[in-house]
Amino acid sequence: MTTFKAWLKTITFYEILIGMRATLMHLLHYKPITLQYPHEKRTLPGNYRGMLALLRYDDGVEKCVGCDLCEAACPSRVIRVVSSEVPGEPTKRYAKEYYMDMTRCLFCGLCVQACPVDALGMTREYEWAVYDKRQLQLNKPQLLAIGDRSFPVREKRLEMQHPNVAFFNVAYKNLPQKVS
Amino acid sequence: MAELGLKAALSVAQIAAVMAAVMLTVMILTLAERKVLGWMQDRMGPMEVGPYGILQPIADGLKLFFKEDIVPTGANKFLFSLAPILALVPALIGFAVIPFGPNETVEIFGIPFKPFVISDINIGILYILAFTSIGAYGIILGGWASNSKYSLLGGLRSAAQVISYELNVGLAIVGVLLLAGSLSLVKITEAQSGWFWNWFVIALPFPQIFAFVVYVISSVAETNRLPFDLPEAESELVAGFFTEYSGMRFAFFFIAEYANMILVSCIAAILFLGGWNAPAPFLQFHGSLANLAWLSGIFWFTVKVYFFLFLFFWLRATLPRLRYDQLMRFGWKVMLPIALGNIVVTAIAAYFFPR
Repeated sequence: MTTFKAWLKTITFYEILIGMRATLMHLLHYKPITLQYPHEKRTLPGNYRGMLALLRYDDGVEKCVGCDLCEAACPSRVIRVVSSEVPGEPTKRYAKEYYMDMTRCLFCGLCVQACPVDALGMTREYEWAVYDKRQLQLNKPQLLAIGDRSFPVREKRLEMQHPNVAFFNVAYKNLPQKVS
Repeated sequence: MAELGLKAALSVAQIAAVMAAVMLTVMILTLAERKVLGWMQDRMGPMEVGPYGILQPIADGLKLFFKEDIVPTGANKFLFSLAPILALVPALIGFAVIPFGPNETVEIFGIPFKPFVISDINIGILYILAFTSIGAYGIILGGWASNSKYSLLGGLRSAAQVISYELNVGLAIVGVLLLAGSLSLVKITEAQSGWFWNWFVIALPFPQIFAFVVYVISSVAETNRLPFDLPEAESELVAGFFTEYSGMRFAFFFIAEYANMILVSCIAAILFLGGWNAPAPFLQFHGSLANLAWLSGIFWFTVKVYFFLFLFFWLRATLPRLRYDQLMRFGWKVMLPIALGNIVVTAIAAYFFPR
């Protein structure tokens, strides 16, 4: 009986007809899952990790203090930082030169996590196809420009955000208060 | 002399009209294939050129026309140039005997003229089979002359496949010829007039349904379409026999493939689905509108041909490609016995129940 059924299915092209019904159903209930890319674009998820950028404070001073932690955190050795003292202020440092080789970047976001002053940000830009690979070797002004156009609302300095709290003396609510 | 000139002018005009119709259909097919395939796979198909991409065939044609014509080093230049023409001409020449509409004769300046068939020769179907066989030469020579291993493999596969499946096509239509008693496509169509049960696919008491299935499968294989597209299997052979071709020569192969598709669809419609005949007599213009019957005839013929062309796309969207030994085993061990058995049964039935 089962062999007869199998034979019947073979000569009536049963399996092929099932498949053809599936394709026909897709034709009749046509709902494209593709997008016409340059004309319409996906809505990106909120935590999208796109092009890297250097950020500034609201007074226009760049946030980067040249600590090299991003360079240490980067698994692909994208970042190169040349740190130096701020002229006239020996206690403060900044990144004199800052290079990113975006041809190697894998957008893991470790540099952004490693940054102690939140000087790095991941924008939502992804259309960075270029004709010349050397155009992807970005320097500090370029990275700052990306940050300027992607993050128009800049953060205040931390001490300005909480003017009554000293910067390194943040009160934690879960710790017992200091009794004076 | 003037009569001869007029006859020639009429024939040339008719050939031009048929060629224009075929080329237009090829253009529509190139777009329709991509669109239908896209829709079946939840894509959109071409959308850039014109509204909803409907001008895509024109853009494709222009692109192919302006492309560089490359002849690979070591290629046999003569055969390399000859092969596309050898593929295209037999594909187009078959339309000479296809009746697109009712077999009417009109008198133009005293010359009898059949507007819907270029030449109603009495061996029409044999003529088409002969010329489609020549079309295989274009593919084989194109594969050989390219001096490329992929082309050669594609050509070899094509040779074996086309020969195997042409046999099945030839044998599948023998049943129809037995019933119709003629090789002329016009006579075969006229033998199926009336209701749809007179069509040879369900012509009681000896339906040709098996022959029909064998014919459809074999014609898909013969035109090198999926799931039998082994000569141009892009995942194995780059593009098969036309790997090395570019520009207009590639376009010739391309047009030949689509023209062959249209041709086998026309033959399937004529032999098995009653050609220009409507499914029921009241579905064509009759009575006071009887002199417009040709309009409904062309309409029904077009509907049937386009159904088959849609079937080609549908199969392509559904089925994966066969392996080569499966293809050969299927052709020789399954299709051939069915076709032969169908001939025997039909011959016996036609002897005892003459129509």
